[in-house]
Amino acid sequence: MENGEGSGSLSRRQLLRMIGATAGATAMYQAMSSLGFAAESPYQGPIDLQGAPRGASVLILGAGMAGLTAAYELRNAGYKVQVLEYNARAGGRNWTLRGGDRYTELGGHTQQCEFDKDLYINPGPWRIPYHHHGMMHYTKLLKIPLEPFFQVNYNAYLHSSGAFGGKPQRFREVKADYQGHVAELLAKATRQNSLDASVTKQDQEMLLESLRHWGALDSDYSYVSSDASSDRRGYEKKPGGGLSARPIPSRPIALHDILDSGLWSGVANGDTFDMQTALFQPAGGMGRIGEAFGKELGPLIRYNAKVTDIRQDDRGVSVTFIDVQNPGAPQTARADWCLCTIPLPILAQIPMNVGQSMGAAISAVPYAPAIKAGLQFKRRFWEQDENIFGGITYTDLPIMNIGYPNTGFQSGGKGVLLGAYVWGLRAMEFTAMTPPERVQKVVDYGSQIHPQYHQEFENGVAVAWHRVPFTMGCFGQWTTATRAKHYDDLCQIDGRIALAGEHASFIGGWQEGAVTSALDAIGRLHQRAVAQGESA
Amino acid sequence: MRSVALGAALLLLMLGAYADSPMFTSRATIGSLNGEQIYEHICQGCHMPGGQGAVGAGSYPKLAANKKLASWAYVALTVLDGRNGMPPFGYPAGHGMNAGPPHLSDAQIADVVNYVRSHFGNAYKADVTPEKIQALPHPAAELMGPQ
Repeated sequence: MENGEGSGSLSRRQLLRMIGATAGATAMYQAMSSLGFAAESPYQGPIDLQGAPRGASVLILGAGMAGLTAAYELRNAGYKVQVLEYNARAGGRNWTLRGGDRYTELGGHTQQCEFDKDLYINPGPWRIPYHHHGMMHYTKLLKIPLEPFFQVNYNAYLHSSGAFGGKPQRFREVKADYQGHVAELLAKATRQNSLDASVTKQDQEMLLESLRHWGALDSDYSYVSSDASSDRRGYEKKPGGGLSARPIPSRPIALHDILDSGLWSGVANGDTFDMQTALFQPAGGMGRIGEAFGKELGPLIRYNAKVTDIRQDDRGVSVTFIDVQNPGAPQTARADWCLCTIPLPILAQIPMNVGQSMGAAISAVPYAPAIKAGLQFKRRFWEQDENIFGGITYTDLPIMNIGYPNTGFQSGGKGVLLGAYVWGLRAMEFTAMTPPERVQKVVDYGSQIHPQYHQEFENGVAVAWHRVPFTMGCFGQWTTATRAKHYDDLCQIDGRIALAGEHASFIGGWQEGAVTSALDAIGRLHQRAVAQGESA
Repeated sequence: MRSVALGAALLLLMLGAYADSPMFTSRATIGSLNGEQIYEHICQGCHMPGGQGAVGAGSYPKLAANKKLASWAYVALTVLDGRNGMPPFGYPAGHGMNAGPPHLSDAQIADVVNYVRSHFGNAYKADVTPEKIQALPHPAAELMGPQ
């Protein structure tokens, strides 16, 4: 069938296909940027909610990062707060699966996580950029120890199944060689006076010197096998001590091979705003944040509560819910105001008397597919055999990412890595499989990069976000058009109801979006409550 | 509830057992999938094998013996434009959203609509044509991300 790029330029079509297939990671980040993902957090420091009217109450639906943030701040401001949460735990997508945990997905498959003690996988968010100031604030407040998250590991791999005989290449080599070749070409163009029209003679001198420095070029401005290039891409034989000390330089990959492989697309993976050093992870798993919030809020959270109806009137909001552990007669909670953080695919199915514009916005946002798999191995072979300590390998295989644990380095015993982090079409296909099939595929594909997999694999879990009972999808996937048409309607307070969550933010898919949208929404709810408190 | 406990031995068994399972498709090759294959690769992720649907905090509609399927246009518009959290599959080819839902052709959408309306205990005539799909409103291209 027609592939659809229109004019039929084969090379362009191939290029697009290659970018789509082999360059998934970078392409995704770029696509995310245009979706608003790379926006700077608007977090302005601790929120000020002074002057809460005496006895005013807020009912919060959902104990994910948005609901927990709101509950914490509103409680501290003097509001009477109650939270209804579908799960038996706090956190929502802030979630860690550890040995002994059981998880039942939509469709009924139950997975028993059999990881060893202290080993875990974060099925949802796994990293916190330093500039997600809201998340940084609350982890500090809750005294959550943070560990570095290695977004970029120069010794991890970039892998294209159709290039270099399927052999993964070290990030360090691809980056150094791509950069070196580009520097050489640019130096050549400069010296052939091709840049005379755009760069002054004086600047050309400086440009040449900078290219030599940037690309590790030799005295002739060539990128060749040398101490200089090996100092970037690594040596054939590393410098040592004693009689065996003399290093042997390595040979760069040819420019054509880098371009043809598509691996150049991975070079900028750590350059996007959200991926720039420093990034962090909570020690013990991302879920530590939700757990700490849950402990802090204690009895304010009513767990196992499935919301079935949301109804507002002149004086307040009534929410009907069912206790999913002990289903009986529906129960009702009531408050002056309601902050609803329920993910949109679920909220769209709950009767709620809000205006048509908010209703339309709630139904307008499809949720992105994503899957993650955690695999336990008998030993940390990626460290022992391949010297990969943390960080991420990127591949064009359906598993897309392999994430190595950023903690517990060189510890004996077993290890758990993220065997797959997949989005887009392939995530849909993984979702359509049973959990054992997913794990089997992840092991099978991963063994093309790490042949140790089959020998060392012990057990695994695979979470497909469209089958997660409490979200039915990974995150709200806005487009430019849907944002223009619906975003403000989604965020406007409707009577006594306001919405919050990553879906009500421009930092979609990130916990920071949930936190900042919650603070924004409760700030506006507070203004209304104060105004009404004064007029009453 | 099915319990999933994966040991290495079990996994090795399964590797044999699933050796013939269909490989992943891609944006380049998805165009060759028919209605049944599209259902198995994509739709059943949410609507479940056999169109059984699922219930959690919300629910995925059961397609098995579902009276709403009497309207072919309802089903077709849902696939084309999405509904609630469901993504739209009617974006033009090459819509540029690498992270977005894949493009399905009018012929494929007709085929998958016919498939769900004639399986899972539904016995509607499989008479939806690509022309009928073409006549329905499609979502506009979303030109974003790398082109």
